[in-house]
Amino acid sequence: MQSDVDKRFTRMQKATGLHLAMEAEETLQRLKEFPDNPEPMAYFYDLFHNLYKNGHTLPTDKKIIGTMCLQVPDELIYAAGAVPMRMCSGAYAYDQVGAEFMPAKSCPVVKATTGMLHVNQTLWGESVASVVVPTTCDQKKKCAEMLKDMGYPVYILEMPSAKDSDAARFYWQESVKKFALDLQQITGTKITSAKLQAVITDMAESSRLFRKLNDLRKAKTPLIFGKDIFLVTSAYFIDDLTSWQQAVRKLIEDLEERHKNDIAISNRQAPRLLLTGSPPIFPNLKVPILVEQAGGIIVADEVCSSNRLLYDTVAYDETNLNDMVPALADRYLKPCTCPCLTPNTDRNRKLEEMIKSHEVEGVVYQAFSGCLPYEMEQKQISNTLDEVGVPMLYLETDYSNEDLGQLSTRIEAFIESIKARRRKK
Amino acid sequence: MGNFRKAINHANISRFRLYLQAASFVLLIYGGYLAINIGDQLPTFGCIFSDLRGGSCYLYGFQHQMGSPWSSYLSGRGIGMLVGLLTFIGFFIVFNKAWCGFICPLGTIQDWLTGLRRKFGIRYSNYSEPVFQRLSKIKYILLALLILIPMAIGNSFFGLPKLDHDFGIPFCMICPGRTVFPLFSGDFSQLALDMSSITKMVFTTLGLLITGLFLAGSFIKKRFFCLFCPMSAFHYIFAKAALLRLSKDGSKCTRCGNCYRACDVGIRAIADDLDHKNIVKDDCMMCFKCVEMCPEEGCLEVKFLGLPIYESTEEGFFKRMQRLNNAK
Repeated sequence: MQSDVDKRFTRMQKATGLHLAMEAEETLQRLKEFPDNPEPMAYFYDLFHNLYKNGHTLPTDKKIIGTMCLQVPDELIYAAGAVPMRMCSGAYAYDQVGAEFMPAKSCPVVKATTGMLHVNQTLWGESVASVVVPTTCDQKKKCAEMLKDMGYPVYILEMPSAKDSDAARFYWQESVKKFALDLQQITGTKITSAKLQAVITDMAESSRLFRKLNDLRKAKTPLIFGKDIFLVTSAYFIDDLTSWQQAVRKLIEDLEERHKNDIAISNRQAPRLLLTGSPPIFPNLKVPILVEQAGGIIVADEVCSSNRLLYDTVAYDETNLNDMVPALADRYLKPCTCPCLTPNTDRNRKLEEMIKSHEVEGVVYQAFSGCLPYEMEQKQISNTLDEVGVPMLYLETDYSNEDLGQLSTRIEAFIESIKARRRKK
Repeated sequence: MGNFRKAINHANISRFRLYLQAASFVLLIYGGYLAINIGDQLPTFGCIFSDLRGGSCYLYGFQHQMGSPWSSYLSGRGIGMLVGLLTFIGFFIVFNKAWCGFICPLGTIQDWLTGLRRKFGIRYSNYSEPVFQRLSKIKYILLALLILIPMAIGNSFFGLPKLDHDFGIPFCMICPGRTVFPLFSGDFSQLALDMSSITKMVFTTLGLLITGLFLAGSFIKKRFFCLFCPMSAFHYIFAKAALLRLSKDGSKCTRCGNCYRACDVGIRAIADDLDHKNIVKDDCMMCFKCVEMCPEEGCLEVKFLGLPIYESTEEGFFKRMQRLNNAK
C-alpha cells in the first residue's frame, strides 16, 4: 500500500519524465530544422532521443560515478573500473523540481542537477556508486550537502579557489591522490599504473578529436554550426568513450570532405561569434540555436561543457602512479578557466587568443541568472574585449522558454550591428 | 620543405638527445683513444683528470689562471687568459645551454641514473618552489668562490697572507667529475684521500662526500647536481647573447603546465612566465622536453640565429604521447 507521499512522488516522477521527453524532443526538432545537417550528427540526435524517450535512462549498466564540474579526473574513475557520468543537467523539467530545494535565485544548473537526482533516486539509486562534487562554486558545495541528505553517497573533492601558488597546486594534488585511493574503496578495483596509462591515452584521443573539430571551426568557410558542437560535447557527458570517439571521427571525416569541396553549412558571410559564460548543456541549447537561427555562426566557445572540458591534455613524464596522478591533477587545475578561481585572467587571455585564431567578430556572453561568478566576471571580460575591439552581447537567461522573444530580438540586433560594423570597415 | 619541417616537429627529440649524449660521452671520455681532443676550454664537463679525454672543462684552466698575481693579468699571461675566455665563450655562444642537456657527460650520468630509477619503478623526489629558489643561488656562490679562492693564492686580499697552492683548483677538488670520469677508463686513483696536507685532505674528503651525494642525489632527483653547478652559473652570464634560443609566445600559452611537469630541473617560469620571449633560465639545460610536451602550435620554439628549427605542435604532441604509451 503506497502512502500519499509516495503516490505524489510517483506522479511527479511520471510527469517530469513526460515533460523531459517533450523538452528533449523539441530541442532535437529545432536542431534538426537547420538545413543540410552533417549526416554523422544523426548519431547524436538518436543518442539523446533514446536517452529521454521513456523517462531518463542511465546510459550504461556498469557502476556509475556521477561527477559535478569538469575538475573530477575521469581517468581515475575509468581506471578504477567504473564509468564517469557528468551530472550537470540542462533540463528545465528538472530545474523546476530542483526549485523545491533551493532559493528561486539559485543557478539553474545546480537546481536542475539536484532535481534530476531527486526525481531519479528510486530508479538510479543502486547504480550510482558515488556523486563526486569538487568544491568549485558555493552553490555546488551546498548542493552537495543536500544530495548527501537525500541519501546519495556524496564524495567531496576538495579544490583550492586559486591555482597560481604552489600551496594551491600541492593541496589539489593531495586531494586528487586521496580521491584515487578512496575510489578504489568505492569500486573495489585497484588502480594500476598500466590501467591508468591506457585510460590517459584513450582520453587523450578525445582531446585530440575535439581539437580537430576546433581546428575545423577555424576555416573561412563555415563547416559546422555551434549548436551541433554543443550537442556533441553534451553527449561526451554521458556517452561511452569508444562510441563517442567513433561518432566524432565520422563527423570529422564528413567536415573534412566539406572543407575540401568548399561546402559551407551556412551563409559564408555569417558573422563569426564566440560563446562564453554559463554552460549550454542539452536540452538547454536555447541561446546557440537562437544565435544561429538569426544568421550568426558560433565558431568558438569557452564554456565548461565544451572547450574547457575537452581541450586540455595530460602530460606525464614517468609511467608510475606517483607521476601520473599528480599529472592528472595538474591537467584539471592549471589550465582551468572556471570563474570560481581567482585570479582568472587566463580566461581573458584564452578568449583573446581564440578571437585571433578563429577570426571572431563578436562574443555572446551567456550568464544563467543566479550564476554569480559568471555574472560578476562579465565586467572583466567586457573590458578585455573593449581593448581588442570586439563587441559583446551579454545575455542573462535561464532554462525556461519565457524569454525567447526578448532574447531573439536582442540577438538579431547584435548580429545586424556586426554586419553594419563590417560595412564601415 | 613543409613535410620536412613537419617530420622534425613530430620527432621525438628526447630519443635523439639520448643518442647524442651517448656519443658525446664516448667522445669526451674516450676521445683520446681516437686521438681526438677538442681543447681545454669546453663549456662542459670533460675532465682534465681523465687521461683519455677528448676535451676538457674550461673551469680547470680558468681557476689555474685566476691564481696569477694581479701584475700578470696585464702582461702576456693576460692575453692567454683572454684567449681562453674567448674560446670558452665562442664554444658556448653557438649551442647555448644545450651543452648541458646534450653534451655534458656529468649530466648524462645523472640521466642514466634517472633511467635506472625508472626501471625499478622508484618514485622521484622534487623541491618545492621556495626551496628550489634558495638552492638555486648556491651555484653563484660556488662560482664566486672558484674565482676568489685562486685569486687569493697569487694575491693578498686586505693584507691577509696569501693562500697555499693547495687551494689552486678548489672546485675541481670537490667536483664529482674528477672522481667519476677517470673510473670509466679504469683509473681509481682519484678516489684516494690525499693526506699530504690538511688542505688536500679536507678537499679530497669533501670531494668524496660530494661524489656520494651526486650519485645518491641524482638517483632520486632528476638532474640533482645541475642546480648547484657553477658552470651553469658561468653560462648564464653569456646566455643572452647565444645563437641557439628557446623562445616562448606567451599569448599562445594556456598555462596548462605540461612543460613544467616535463622539466627535469623544475623551472616554473616555463609555464607561468607570459612576458619574456627568451625563456632560457639559469637552470635550463635546453633539453627541449618542454617543447615536446607543449600542445599549443608554435607556443615554444627552438631557434638558431632567429631561424626556427623545432617548435611545439598539437599533432606532434599527440604523436609523442601515443609513442610514449606504446613504448610502455
